Amino acid sequence: MRTRAALGSLFGSIAVLVIGWQAGAAAAHNAGATTSTSSSSTSSGSSKTFTGTTAQTQFGPVQVKITVAGGKLTDVVAVQLTNDGGRSVQISNYAAPILRKEALAAQSASITTVGGATYTSDGYRTSLQSALDQAGLK
Amino acid sequence: MPVRVFETMGTTVSLRSRLAVADDAIAAVVAVFAAHDHRYSLYRPQSELSSIASGRLALIDASDELRITYAAALEWRNRTGGAFTPHRPDGVIDLSGTVKAAAMRDAGEVLALAGVDDWCLNVGGDVLVSGRPDPGHPWVVGIVDPADRRMLLTSVSVSGPRTACATSGSAERGDHIWTRGATPSPFVQVTVVANDIEVADVLATAVIAGGETTLDLVTRSFDIDVLTVDRVGELRATPGLREAIEGSGALAA
Repeated sequence: MRTRAALGSLFGSIAVLVIGWQAGAAAAHNAGATTSTSSSSTSSGSSKTFTGTTAQTQFGPVQVKITVAGGKLTDVVAVQLTNDGGRSVQISNYAAPILRKEALAAQSASITTVGGATYTSDGYRTSLQSALDQAGLK
Repeated sequence: MPVRVFETMGTTVSLRSRLAVADDAIAAVVAVFAAHDHRYSLYRPQSELSSIASGRLALIDASDELRITYAAALEWRNRTGGAFTPHRPDGVIDLSGTVKAAAMRDAGEVLALAGVDDWCLNVGGDVLVSGRPDPGHPWVVGIVDPADRRMLLTSVSVSGPRTACATSGSAERGDHIWTRGATPSPFVQVTVVANDIEVADVLATAVIAGGETTLDLVTRSFDIDVLTVDRVGELRATPGLREAIEGSGALAA
């Protein structure tokens, strides 16, 4: 029971953090978006596309385009800017910025295991995995 | 859900399964890890790899298994532009970057042979799964926040061909990653989801060690999904990782 209570407080804390991050996350989003290049309407409401600042990568200069609909991030596309006439190509597997708020909000309540940088046996004892295991052993 | 927990390789193994696993199958899994630990641990003075490190055993006289493992690790060094390396800064061969994953893969084969279908194996925060916890849901891995390890950053689903999820970082045991240059990594934690646990584990380590150059290299050249946390706590994710996050929870809708 003690373990379940600890896990309950863990997820409770996360809920508090989600609220805490929302203000900061909105500011971060605006800082990264330089221009609002287009906006369009859909049946479910309006969606807007924002183009981020250019980052230098192994692919050359890369910009990330995001689409927001109903206040929710719906699409992220990385675009590589090429030198010939300003053409651009989509990069299929680029690691683009993702908001903590978004990552937290999408997470599941039914986590079955916990991934994290390698822990020792000592580290395990105070880990979330240990708490989950104890809950599962009941 | 049944859970079996045991210690090996200096860390802790948690094996969760939809149905209870027979004791002899568990014993076989424990034996797999023990065998790898006895051959490759540099903490055990009598291990074969310690014998090579101390000069008591020449590499050419080592077991075929050890030399094949070393050759595979060197191949990973080449495929990551040198970001992953099986050598400590003092030149000693250190295979801890691939051996844990190899043991996990072997353990998975042992479970399959024992007829166990739906399981989730967590070894020190690296995860390999098979099947599902129940018919309607995938296995879901919570990803620890490196800034506060009592918290989670997010969760990712592992299903279909994506059976492996490995995380490397400097939060704990960061010293086991050998970086090439003097500059510290821009990333404090890197999670890789892949179809193979060795691919996931090696490439997570490589991105920590090699930074953004290696991140771009491996996302372009390997079939993997990646989530990174940088020094100021900001996240980056590949499209597939984003889908794995969204697939982990019903809350996104």
